[in-house]
Amino acid sequence: MSAETALQTASELLEQWAKEATTPEPFRLDVVIEPDDLLAAVKALRDASWGYLSTITGVDLGVEAGEFELLYHFSNGAALATLRVRTPRDNPSVPSVCGIIPTATLYEREIIEMFGISVEGTPNTDRLFLPDDWPDGVYPLRKDYIYDDPTAQA
Amino acid sequence: MNTLRAVIALLFFPGGLFILFAGMAYEWVDRKLIARFQNRIGPRWFQPLADSIKLLAKEEVIPTDVNAILFVVLPVIALAGALASALYVPIIGLEPSYSFSGDLIVTLYLLSLLTLCTGLAGANTLDRFSLVGATRALTQMFSYEAPVLLALLGPAIVAESWKISVISEYAKSHWLIITQPIGFLVAVIGLMGKLEMPPFDAPEAETEIVAGALTEYSGRGLALFHLGKSVELMVGLTLVTAFYLGGVANPLLFFAKTLMLLVVVAGVQSLLTRLRIEQTVGLWWRYGALLALAQFLVMIAYEGVA
Amino acid sequence: MQSQQGNKFTIPIGPQHPALKEPEHFEFNVDGELVTGASVRLGYVHRGIEKGTENRSFVQSMYLLERVCGICSHVHATAFCLGVERLAEIEAPPRAQAIRVLVAELERIHSHMLWLGVGAHEAGFDTLFMYSWRDRETVLNLLEDITGNRINYSTNVLGGVKCDIDREQAAAIRQGLDFLEERTTHYLDVVTSDMMFLRRTRGVGVMTYDESQRLGAVGPTARASGVARDLRVDAAYAAYDKYPVNLVTETAGDLEARFVVRIKELFESFRVIRAVLDDLPEGDLTTRMPRRVKEGDTISRVEAPRGELFYYIKSNGTDTAERVKVRTPTLPNMASVLTLAVGHQLADMPMILVGIDPCFSCNDRMVSVKGTLDSQCWTWEQLRQYGIEYYR
Repeated sequence: MSAETALQTASELLEQWAKEATTPEPFRLDVVIEPDDLLAAVKALRDASWGYLSTITGVDLGVEAGEFELLYHFSNGAALATLRVRTPRDNPSVPSVCGIIPTATLYEREIIEMFGISVEGTPNTDRLFLPDDWPDGVYPLRKDYIYDDPTAQA
Repeated sequence: MNTLRAVIALLFFPGGLFILFAGMAYEWVDRKLIARFQNRIGPRWFQPLADSIKLLAKEEVIPTDVNAILFVVLPVIALAGALASALYVPIIGLEPSYSFSGDLIVTLYLLSLLTLCTGLAGANTLDRFSLVGATRALTQMFSYEAPVLLALLGPAIVAESWKISVISEYAKSHWLIITQPIGFLVAVIGLMGKLEMPPFDAPEAETEIVAGALTEYSGRGLALFHLGKSVELMVGLTLVTAFYLGGVANPLLFFAKTLMLLVVVAGVQSLLTRLRIEQTVGLWWRYGALLALAQFLVMIAYEGVA
Repeated sequence: MQSQQGNKFTIPIGPQHPALKEPEHFEFNVDGELVTGASVRLGYVHRGIEKGTENRSFVQSMYLLERVCGICSHVHATAFCLGVERLAEIEAPPRAQAIRVLVAELERIHSHMLWLGVGAHEAGFDTLFMYSWRDRETVLNLLEDITGNRINYSTNVLGGVKCDIDREQAAAIRQGLDFLEERTTHYLDVVTSDMMFLRRTRGVGVMTYDESQRLGAVGPTARASGVARDLRVDAAYAAYDKYPVNLVTETAGDLEARFVVRIKELFESFRVIRAVLDDLPEGDLTTRMPRRVKEGDTISRVEAPRGELFYYIKSNGTDTAERVKVRTPTLPNMASVLTLAVGHQLADMPMILVGIDPCFSCNDRMVSVKGTLDSQCWTWEQLRQYGIEYYR
């Protein structure tokens, strides 16, 4: 399956949920979907054995925009399909895809501790990267987090 | 006069200090040889001594929740057992300091004391690595002990005595390695198993369980266990050489033969991959014990005919 | 016993443990010697690199990202450079791309040889460990000769590379490769024929093709299970379309297959490096790189020695990246370890762990070191001499 046909298949699979589909680069397909449709879309890709989940990227769109964006990257050879999901900053929440892709747990734990997005139904919410004495409710990859060097001279 | 002789034999020569230093020297040779086989430079000649002095000078940390008396006493017993066994073997080709009929069995059990103490020391602490290490050490002991005993009984039977001095006297005129090759093999490999050398180092496999049963030991205790092991290396080599390699008539022959054996042992150590504990047990009971037993039967049959 | 909860007996491996050369924490529940469960806690070397890139310019970020990992620093910089170059709509000159490939393959050799040694050490086969690390020095010396550094070569700059290969260096590389090829042939023979070693690797930690697909394994770990997944082939980047790589796969999926795949990949690397040296395009090493990068986002993937390295770079039209996401190959492979561990002997754990060639530094990538060390400068020769003299 060449990358073109793979992308064609992916766009057909995801068509029904897509609010917007773009090809920002060659061999890439970006599909914006609603958080509620996420599980269905992931399942569709999974059932068609379309590639594998490369990672989940969290992006803070800024305090003004008031939203987070989560990118679910699926790779299939040279082809890349990205599901873009937006969730509001004041109550960020997305469903967990661990039921469909068990290995996503590590990526979801990273999203939880770095952005404070609640991932509903994820099996494990323990700290993965941050130290045990890291304060609760402080999420380092949010744009409004400023690194305060504890060793800096006052 | 007799008392003085006994004190000298126990504390200085051939037991006590002499065997400690000789053990360390042999340990150095072993380490250096492996290093050279592995294309490394290896430690300097005084390294085992330096290690021991450093460890003896260091504070001994006794972990909470252990039986402190056992924790302190076990390494002493282990070293004492190894040192005592040296009195019954022909170190550097001399007559054993003490000798009585059946001392072969006593020596073998004194040699096992170290492993037993290691196992108990591991089981005494709460550390999980120690516990796994202790289990492995004892499991391994139960797997090699019987075949090794059989292997050393071979010479005993042909010499028609259980006395080490009589057997080694007999061996001086008979190269038993030729008549009992399997026994020799089992004895050497058993010695390596006893000393937890690779490939039988599963009880102290550092990549799995850190230092095995001795993980919680530091300072004096650790030094004593290490010294015990060096002494055992020396005693074990002496025993195998005296029984199988044409005996040790004088110091020169003694050093030449034991060092040759050590080269072989070091070569085996650097050639082989560590066995998992269940592989070790399988190896001993499936091959070691059966082979030793087979040779034993052949011998008995031969003796019976002759 | 306090350490036992219920009837679980937990063996911790890490964060300080002789099996792991880097700090990471694994917990294995064991029943006797049998492992019944596994969990992982990462982040002991988290350095905040992803956050760090948000207030550094692209040029500064590149040097930061190169320090994600000591072993595979070049692929990180390559992934980032390729991505940023794509956003800036420039392309590095052909000679630069060829040199990127060359250094990447040398790095792969160094990484695989390092892994071979570590893998053998975990199995308790220290002789192979010592020999493979001795031979690895050859490739480290070559890298030092080309770039000035043994690791963290810093070959890449945005828009090209900064070191050239002259004729003498090319000859030195060829000579080094000949030596390494001979040694590698020997190692392939050792790992496939040493009976004692095979007892520890053959049939251990088997990951089937289906499992590998399901767990999303990448790199040599996946290829040892027969999954044909190699970005150098699937989506050729830099100059890999000019110097094609042949895919190396094995079907057994056990530890032996992982050894074999990595060693066979070494031969592929030797071949590719020779091809690059034979046919090195002439021309500039760099092209002009604008300071500001257009708004947009890109995904840049390269094949690190351990598998697919994934970069997501988002630019906001300034000279600073809005977001850089790094997903290193160890993370997806980690999932396979946790799954494979169950049902194996405790003694096999270090082997299975190392079988994926984990790189925890890569994994964590986020602390700033303050202050400078007062230290005297030693040359490499002096250091080496000191090391030898010390043990005389």
